[in-house]
Amino acid sequence: MSTTLHDPIGKGWRRADGRIGVRNHVIAFSTVALTDRVTALAAAQVSGVLPITPAFQRGLRGDDATLQEEMIKAIIAHPNVGAALVVTHDRSSADRLQAVCSEVEKPIFVVALMAQRGMQAAQESLTTKLRSLLDATAGQSKSEFNLSNLTVALECGGSDATSALCANPAIGRFVDLLIEAGGTAIVSETAEFLGGEDVVRAQSKTPQIADAILAHLSAEEAMMNSDGTDYRGVNPTQENIEAGLSTLTEKTMGALCKIGTSRFAGALNFGERPKGKGLFFMNTPFFSPTSLTGMVLGGAQVSLFAMGVFNPSGLPLAPTIKICGNPKTLSDWPDAIDLDVSDVISGKSRYDEAADEIRMAMRRISEGQMTCAEKLQEGQIILPITQAPL
Amino acid sequence: MSNPDPSPDLRLSLKTQGGDNVATVLDDLLDCTAIAGGVTIDQGIPFGHKVALVSISKGEAILKYGVVIGHAKTAIREGEHVHVHNIA
Repeated sequence: MSTTLHDPIGKGWRRADGRIGVRNHVIAFSTVALTDRVTALAAAQVSGVLPITPAFQRGLRGDDATLQEEMIKAIIAHPNVGAALVVTHDRSSADRLQAVCSEVEKPIFVVALMAQRGMQAAQESLTTKLRSLLDATAGQSKSEFNLSNLTVALECGGSDATSALCANPAIGRFVDLLIEAGGTAIVSETAEFLGGEDVVRAQSKTPQIADAILAHLSAEEAMMNSDGTDYRGVNPTQENIEAGLSTLTEKTMGALCKIGTSRFAGALNFGERPKGKGLFFMNTPFFSPTSLTGMVLGGAQVSLFAMGVFNPSGLPLAPTIKICGNPKTLSDWPDAIDLDVSDVISGKSRYDEAADEIRMAMRRISEGQMTCAEKLQEGQIILPITQAPL
Repeated sequence: MSNPDPSPDLRLSLKTQGGDNVATVLDDLLDCTAIAGGVTIDQGIPFGHKVALVSISKGEAILKYGVVIGHAKTAIREGEHVHVHNIA
């Protein structure tokens, strides 16, 4: 297999900043909750448009306000976005967004709702612009890419005993290939590293990188201990406990199988883009839609999602490949899972084979096959908020 | 995390590391069945849950994946279900 590590695995859209898109989405992006509804209504009228209506707020303070502004730009600049209709409420915000968009080389319209007259006319104006963006992206040429062009988000949800035995180790084996091929992977959910400190020390490229990751873990632990609350039942979640996981360390040790044998090349803040290639830790909350938001807005074009018991999460901007090894989940949720790796339990398959299946799924999805989460238009963009808004 | 492939002999009751004192039950149709190491397990332990491979004293560490995942809140018999009711 190592002889083919650098072979093309698909065709994508090469962006002006050099990144590759595995999708060429035209997004209808509402940058403030006030315009979410009109944007969604307009998007629903134009086939092939991806609505992005994340209920962004006004009145955020400090780092929360900065993060939301940075994430607005990250959504527009995301490599899977070919063109964007950017909607806001007032003219002054539209001017500010126009300046942001001038740094992103792709077809973009910025619209202020207050510059329209009437909801019907506003919708018509938005749909006209969306059709024009679809025309602008139709027929754009694609170029071959390989694993080195990919940043892959590593996620797990609905963790159970099979997550640690099937889906997470299979992803770990794929990540070994991805990193060897010069690609990038991001793993997150700080709470689900607690108890895995020894793994972090053993699998960081330098002591400084280990210290940076461990500092995030210490801060998380201090937060969890600061209010006298017992977080069992929150994490591990009730469905984790029902599935047999008893403690956070037990859950952590399963989740960490996702990183394979690679060494961490750095620690990232929420939504931060990796500088360089390799395996990166990102400091995020543990709720899947939120952690996926951080990793995808950090530039991941594809997400690998290990599942034990069912979890519907996805992230609309990046195809989310659902990988499951629990026979009951596979039988109950066949229309929401992309890859069955349960044969590892019965001994009919090994991790190397499962990793190769992930690579083949990556190829099919790069060639345009939609993931289950994409077909269902599953997923949310959720930003962590640390301070009460004004 | 080097993740060796699970041994087929152990697949119904997976003990991932040599020193572990619990194993994962992976076939909930098995009841009262001798598993790896000749341990007889209690009936009705659900798929994916843990079983004690040896007698465990109150306060003793619970080892899974070769790592301490918690401690016994009570004494646990060999073959008994190990979960939130008896470890933390």
